[in-house]
Amino acid sequence: MIDNLIFLGPALAACIILAGILSYFGNHILTRGIIFIDIAIAQIAALGTMIGILLGFAEESAAVQVIAYIFTILIISFFVMMRSRKTDISQEAIIGIIYCVALGLALLLAEKIPGGSNYITKTITGNILWVTWGQVLITFIIVFIVGIIHYFYAKKFIEISEAIRDKKPMESFKFPELIFFITFGFVIVKAVFIQGIFLVFILLIAPAAIARLFTQNWHKRFVWSWIFGILGSVTGIYISYEYNVSNGPAIVCLLGFFVFIAAFIRIFQKMRDKKIISQMVSNVKKMEK
Amino acid sequence: MTIIEFMLAPLMACLLLILINVYFGIHVLKREIIFIDIALAQIAAFGSTIAVVIHHMFHESHGHEHSEDSILAYFLALSFIILSALVFSFLKNRKISIPLEAIIGISYAVATTAAVIILDKAAGGDVHIHDMLVGSILWVTWGQVIKLFVVVFIVGFIHFIFRKKFIKLSDNYQNKDSKMKNSFFWDFLFYLTFGIVIIEAVNISGILTVFAFLILPASFSAMFSKNWVQRIIIGFVLGAVVSAFGLYFSWNMDVPVAPLIILTLGAFLLMGAIYKRLINLIKS
Repeated sequence: MIDNLIFLGPALAACIILAGILSYFGNHILTRGIIFIDIAIAQIAALGTMIGILLGFAEESAAVQVIAYIFTILIISFFVMMRSRKTDISQEAIIGIIYCVALGLALLLAEKIPGGSNYITKTITGNILWVTWGQVLITFIIVFIVGIIHYFYAKKFIEISEAIRDKKPMESFKFPELIFFITFGFVIVKAVFIQGIFLVFILLIAPAAIARLFTQNWHKRFVWSWIFGILGSVTGIYISYEYNVSNGPAIVCLLGFFVFIAAFIRIFQKMRDKKIISQMVSNVKKMEK
Repeated sequence: MTIIEFMLAPLMACLLLILINVYFGIHVLKREIIFIDIALAQIAAFGSTIAVVIHHMFHESHGHEHSEDSILAYFLALSFIILSALVFSFLKNRKISIPLEAIIGISYAVATTAAVIILDKAAGGDVHIHDMLVGSILWVTWGQVIKLFVVVFIVGFIHFIFRKKFIKLSDNYQNKDSKMKNSFFWDFLFYLTFGIVIIEAVNISGILTVFAFLILPASFSAMFSKNWVQRIIIGFVLGAVVSAFGLYFSWNMDVPVAPLIILTLGAFLLMGAIYKRLINLIKS
């Protein structure tokens, strides 16, 4: 048992830290309704890493990360710019196209790197088990700094996200908006490197979605999404260890199923409430008669 | 001569796929829920993946026949598609506080990673994942092309007869106030026919290529026309030219064909957008 814990220690720590920050960001993402931008950004970050490797840098080197950051920041500024323009093609379509072309390019490059299709699998599954304590520390520092920035801007960010949801025009928000996306980009690059595209995506969306189903209050949403994100990650790692399946996908499937179950519970609750209310209404009408 | 003989079946498959996908792509773009397609494609692929693994478990000794063609794979993929078509049309009509995109995205992520988990158990998992994404269109057989033709013909026929219903549904998809009669049924029929095409398409050309064929030519045509027939023609011509080009160059330069086609389509779209902007600038 102790041996297992030592072996799984860095993986657990990394997942808990990243689940914390990603499910926090997820609440903003979900409120803004920009769900698929994340998967596109994550794919671009992975593509940047891949190009870095193709240029001959080592997989863990700073150069590769810098390239990944540049790619990510470019694509994020493109999305922010695009939002204020009117185009013939819907934004959703543009996001889809970017995702598709980026993945296509990654697949083409995979042919040029030795063991490339292995690398494609890795961007899908991540490699949490090979995380070192050093990486955990770096991740923690990044998350800590991002957390402090977000603590100070918390009200502003919530204001912006709600303004975007309500489709209000926004002029005075430019600077905090930039900070939001830059911190987001930093976290995503780090997270994709450790966890792979799909785990990052699901940690962003799933815990926030579950929380959103049951409460409107921002504070409660943050707390519940943390609970679900961390609980899902830890349980997923445990299941993957016990039953010998890859751990990233195990967490993704687990959290995904949680969302479906929560959504159906919510729908049935609402149906029941409606029934009770309509019964009460009809009772009142009967009494009046 | 050899190249023409070798490339004829893949080219025919590409043309059929583009024809039906451009049509569906225009619907999908109008509905503005693009990722539902990649999710459905992935779910279909997940169904066939399960079949591959079951096949491996029972026929370990003689493993070289193409299990994609098996009835089991088709049945599994179809039942997954029907199930998810039901779930998506059901959830669309309900008032829950999270956007439908979140549900779609989660389905996509779960289907992909679940396929990876299952493939991990089978031999040569990495190769299968690669195949699942971009397929192996160069190795398509004439039997598959004929099957694809039959499916495209039947689905196309259904859509031609009920075209007014489907077009009305897609035009008002985001508009929650418009109540169309039996909208649940038509929506379900749309996803079902779409799913049947997707199953064939994914088997031949992989998820990513199908997704590219769906949205890239349709987006290109959106820049130049609003009329349905014109859009289908523009998208089809672009797709046909690009696939012929992609097949030829992948033969000549020894690069994988699917990513080449996707990137070329992307490049054309970019050029189209720049051209459009220039025209607008000159006009103003």
